[in-house]
Amino acid sequence: MSERAEIPTPEGEFFESTRFAGLSLLLGLGAIVGLVLCLIGGIMSPLQFSYSWLFGFIYFFTLCCGCLFWTIVHHATDAEWSVVVRRQLENIALLLLALAIFAIPILLLRHQLFEWMNIPPGRDSALDSKRQYLNWPFFAFRALLYFVLLGGVALLLRRLSVAQDRDGNPGYTIWMRKVAFAGLPIFGLALTFSAFDWLMGLNYRWFSTMWGPYIFAGAAGSSMSLLVLVITALRSAGYLRGVVTLEHYHIMGKWMFAFCVFWAYIGFSQYMLQWYANIPEETQYYIVRNTESWWPLSLLLVFGRFFGPFAILLLQSIKKEPHRLAMIAGWILLMQALDMYLIVLPSLHGTGVRLSIWDLLCPIAIGCSLAFIYLRLVGRTSLFPVRDPRLIESLRLTN
Amino acid sequence: MITPSGHKVYAIAAEYPTAAALYDAAKRVRDAGFKRWDVFSPFPIHGMDDAMGLGKSWLSAVVLAGGLSGLTTALILEFGPSWILYPLIVHGKPYDWKTVPAFFPIMFELTILFSAFAAFFAVLIMNGLPRWNHPMFNWDRFTRVTNDGFFLAIEARDPRFDQNETRDLLEQTGGQHITIVHED
Repeated sequence: MSERAEIPTPEGEFFESTRFAGLSLLLGLGAIVGLVLCLIGGIMSPLQFSYSWLFGFIYFFTLCCGCLFWTIVHHATDAEWSVVVRRQLENIALLLLALAIFAIPILLLRHQLFEWMNIPPGRDSALDSKRQYLNWPFFAFRALLYFVLLGGVALLLRRLSVAQDRDGNPGYTIWMRKVAFAGLPIFGLALTFSAFDWLMGLNYRWFSTMWGPYIFAGAAGSSMSLLVLVITALRSAGYLRGVVTLEHYHIMGKWMFAFCVFWAYIGFSQYMLQWYANIPEETQYYIVRNTESWWPLSLLLVFGRFFGPFAILLLQSIKKEPHRLAMIAGWILLMQALDMYLIVLPSLHGTGVRLSIWDLLCPIAIGCSLAFIYLRLVGRTSLFPVRDPRLIESLRLTN
Repeated sequence: MITPSGHKVYAIAAEYPTAAALYDAAKRVRDAGFKRWDVFSPFPIHGMDDAMGLGKSWLSAVVLAGGLSGLTTALILEFGPSWILYPLIVHGKPYDWKTVPAFFPIMFELTILFSAFAAFFAVLIMNGLPRWNHPMFNWDRFTRVTNDGFFLAIEARDPRFDQNETRDLLEQTGGQHITIVHED
């Protein structure tokens, strides 16, 4: 019904990698220097480095998993609006395969990270009752399984989507829907159990049944923010101008808002139940994070991740203004990093914040590597699925 | 204005064959400067808000006010008794503002409840509901509106309303079965 949509040519729109060779070189250099420094750090101070690396790794893991989630949901619900932004989601989700390499240090440094690996059987009955799950062979097998499953779904969905670019066969859409139906439980289980293994396992005595949804809520909201940033960057470079409209921004903003609320809902539900029940086994997690110098950071997370964005994103005008929305998106990504920092680092520094150079270097090294791979990936295909049967509806989106 | 049967004129209405025709007609009527008019269709038509020039509804402001009054009610009813009037230690929890986690669920619920009430009643008032009948039902063709009919009606209370000119405008936009709809 709307008058602005123009049907794009079936060739699609291509990202010229040569235009950004300088940026690519910079990121490549940053990745190499960062990873070499990380190698030195891993040898010099393995304890601090292992936690910093886990922090950097899990931050990007949640972002990539979130993008995989949005791709799966797009197909499973037969969504219309997200067709034009789907290729970028697919590209970021594919980075999960690269992240599999960055998971290796976690397995190598397992004795620094996971206390339960160092305790022989018979020493702690609380641990002994969890041995059937918490044992090294199963742990390593699960880590492999997560990446095979998540990476497999991401790879398959992107392959089919790119194949559809060539001939426009609607059968690919049906196939992607089937993969998405299988992918939903795979995604839910893999993200939940990887969060159990790598984050909740930092303290084997503590547990929370809300842990999976909590990590998921953060991942989904922050990956939608990442999508806003990526799309805005592509638009300011001159791409997707006639394809992604303010209406798409409005929807992305609504999702950011929704998952801002959902994150708070889950986070509070987890906190309130443990605070109210007041059982030492459960409260130990929050006592560490709500005392000493961790306390101001926890407060910053509550206000910066929920109350601030909630109040701002309530306004419709913000969601229809790409540059302002991008600023909020950047802030949410920062808060997601703080969230992951507050999950990982207090397990090491229980007495208060002790910043380390590796806390900064590890995320930068991983981030530069992933951004470098992303820049190589994004130019390979059209920037949006040009022959998706739902493309026209997506272009003519109105809220 | 009075119809030959002695009733007051409510509106001049026209029927359109398709949603697209109704959409285009709405834009013409909007550009002609009418304010008191409406379109009727069996299903929501995307983009009709803009085509009618409706602008942003003030419903959200009412809902915000409802939500804030719900939040305030919860704050007063929770902190008033347990912090100021009857400070008691329950479950070994503090009784001053630090007990706020226990109060969040109620603050949340009352915010939602009052927002929902505000939205519900504001929608009723803004739509002029409840009412027993609507003048548009005096036109027998209008019963098709829940099936396959697309209608546009310009009300007589619009300051630009003129029986002949408005009829001409609807004719130019491709309206069919143009008729005068009378009040009850």
